[in-house]
Amino acid sequence: MAYVAIADRDHEQHAHDPETFITKYVWSQDHKVIAIQYGGLAIAMGVIALVLSLFMRLQIGFPGTFDITPYEYYQYVTMHGMIMVVYLLTALFLGGFGNYLIPLMVGSRDMVFPFMNMLSVWVFLLSCIILGISFFVPGGPTGAGWTLYPPQAILEGTPGVDWGILLMLLSLAVFIVAFTMGGLNYVTTVLQARCRGMTLMRMPLSVWGIFVATILGLLAFPALLVAAIMMLLDRTLDTSFFMPSLLSMGEALDTEGGSPILFQHLFWFFGHPEVYIVALPAFGLVSDLLSTHARKNIFGYRMMVWAIIAIGALSFVVWAHHMYVSGMNPYFGFFFATTTLIIAVPTAIKVYNWVLTLWRGDLHFTLPMLWATGFIFTFVHGGLTGLFLGNVTVDLPLSDTYFVIGHFHMVMGVSPVMVLFGAIYHWFPKMTGKMPNMTLGTIHFWMTFLGTYAIYLPMHYIGILGMPRRYYAYGDTDFIPASATSVNEAITIAAIFVAVAQVVFFINIFYSMYKGKASGGNPWRSASLEWQTPDTPPKHGNWGAELPEVHRWPYDYSVPGDDEDFIPQNHPIKPGESSVGS
Amino acid sequence: MFTLLFIAMCFSMVVAFFLIRRLQEKPWTQHGILEGTHDKDGLTSSAPKVGLWAFLGVVTSVFLVFIGAYFMRLDNSHGGISAGQMQGWVPLDEPGILWINTIALILASIAIQLAHGFSSSPDGRTKMRRYFNAAGLLTMAFLVGQVFAWREIYATGNFNVASPAFAFFVLLTTVHGLHLIGGLVAWSRAAARIRHGLEQAELQEVAALRQSVALCATYWHYLLMIWIVLFAILLST
Repeated sequence: MAYVAIADRDHEQHAHDPETFITKYVWSQDHKVIAIQYGGLAIAMGVIALVLSLFMRLQIGFPGTFDITPYEYYQYVTMHGMIMVVYLLTALFLGGFGNYLIPLMVGSRDMVFPFMNMLSVWVFLLSCIILGISFFVPGGPTGAGWTLYPPQAILEGTPGVDWGILLMLLSLAVFIVAFTMGGLNYVTTVLQARCRGMTLMRMPLSVWGIFVATILGLLAFPALLVAAIMMLLDRTLDTSFFMPSLLSMGEALDTEGGSPILFQHLFWFFGHPEVYIVALPAFGLVSDLLSTHARKNIFGYRMMVWAIIAIGALSFVVWAHHMYVSGMNPYFGFFFATTTLIIAVPTAIKVYNWVLTLWRGDLHFTLPMLWATGFIFTFVHGGLTGLFLGNVTVDLPLSDTYFVIGHFHMVMGVSPVMVLFGAIYHWFPKMTGKMPNMTLGTIHFWMTFLGTYAIYLPMHYIGILGMPRRYYAYGDTDFIPASATSVNEAITIAAIFVAVAQVVFFINIFYSMYKGKASGGNPWRSASLEWQTPDTPPKHGNWGAELPEVHRWPYDYSVPGDDEDFIPQNHPIKPGESSVGS
Repeated sequence: MFTLLFIAMCFSMVVAFFLIRRLQEKPWTQHGILEGTHDKDGLTSSAPKVGLWAFLGVVTSVFLVFIGAYFMRLDNSHGGISAGQMQGWVPLDEPGILWINTIALILASIAIQLAHGFSSSPDGRTKMRRYFNAAGLLTMAFLVGQVFAWREIYATGNFNVASPAFAFFVLLTTVHGLHLIGGLVAWSRAAARIRHGLEQAELQEVAALRQSVALCATYWHYLLMIWIVLFAILLST
């Protein structure tokens, strides 16, 4: 039977051709426009969260100077965490890069369900608006901490207990709906709409990372949804899913027998895979950046794919390592510590492979490459401290200290962000047809890279001193020396420095969009399919009259005996080249 | 705790098993089109079908997590230090009407399967339409029946929201009902298309209809299965 790609069928192709400004840029069903809408919205949310973190740091670094109340402080902490993890990282990696890259990289004209894809971004906007509203309701947003642990999250005394927590839970539920609509698209497109010759094992690692992360998201987000629904009921209808019998403000509540630990299990059953929902796309994207800019095929492609899948599978059986101090049975602690350390194996394989890809490569320190190599540093750093915290006995004294903050910001804050910036600079020419400005980008990189180290490295030290996280002010505490206070001041200054660096990024993006040098179709001389489109930026339908055919994997760089140092995926077999099955 | 762990293991295995077969390729040695290895050999045959199964994966995840939470709440120990007491858990007397509802949902599933069967023969179209409509009506009857079940419990005076057995009963039946209502939206669109489509009887239209009916059938069977599992759990605890 002749193979017809699903998106190449006539009625699919023309069903949503954009006609007016509105259908082209607002209610667009084109995956590229949706990707930019998703990305822009996610970055806007990220900027809000960045500003919140600055307020928070001002209070910690210079307590009492800036008129920030404890209520506000907890609200900033909570909203910063939740926005960064869910509304920035998840949305930008999957909604942004997933949407942009999947169809282009697998040789499809669009996602298989374009209408649902459009709904996804608008429902995401709705979830952001709901979350945004919580800043303006009486009592303000919730200040329960990003983990939203009951009973405290829904008891009097916690900031935002009236409206904030309701809006937060509602917003999360709406976000999950949006994610599901997008996620079904990504999975189905990868499985069903690849062009001729594009086998699963010829997909770039970016697609692999996004694909597996999406599957994780589809399976893990329901746990958060269920937890959110049950907590909403506990809050509004006084059910006792999570609420034990307790006294609140001196009065006995009607609830009885509920289990706060049950919420923690549900939350982290989502929460840990969420780490990899963010990390796996980053792993994939960075692999492509390193390979392209080192002019060398990715080292151990098949092992990289297996590692992504292994990490994805293992990520479902490690969640309770976030709960070692919850009074867990020691045997469970042992089990979860073991699985946690096992997950370090495929992760380490990936790190070795990245380094080996660079080994004796023809390295070009372009902007994307700077960020990609920066990622290797920050990720190894954050990963190693993860080994400390994965062990129960080491985790117990370090739990709830700044060591934890330092660890997870290095591993799932700074590292994915390094990849995000690298990826934005890398695909910027494809999205706009212009090159990003190298000077501004380099300034942006060094300020961010050194600045984030100045923030998070000292946190490990004050963490080991035992300085607890989540405190509004430390006052005169015996075990906290004056030097720790100075360190906190320095961290705050570094945080402001890093925030200013991000202004350089926005200047670069807007400057390059209008004044940047024309990039041509394939400025990085990349072999993967998205760089082989007939137009740059690609037009609606991506491929012109005919879909591409794929003859090789996406990493044919510096092939011995070839004139060019790269062979695009859609280039047919050359005379003398080995063919199928050899 | 064990429940959740078991669920997690299942997820991991499904994910791994699904992909394992296709990952033996060595892309760096093989050039050319690789016709035989394209994705047409698996259980997938069309995008909507794959999309539906992916969605059913999400639905499964939602209900498995609910069931996990149910058992963990029932046995309020989950590996923690508290003893295995069942604080506040008063078992619920499930109303008898649930049996009738279950039969209605089974009949709906049978009807939609019959509609699917008749959709492939050109002279079975009227029957297809009849059975398809019947399936929708039976499902609505099921939903109304569930509301009656709530009322029955309410009438017994055992109505206490702090009672987890009751709260879970309402929650699980509501979530299941909402999924059915979602299915009914798809059903009503397909039913409308059947009404129009059969008059025109164009080939392409008929093929699309057949697919809609097939997708609805899959969804209905799946939700029936979920209901039977939920019902069994509710009855046994």
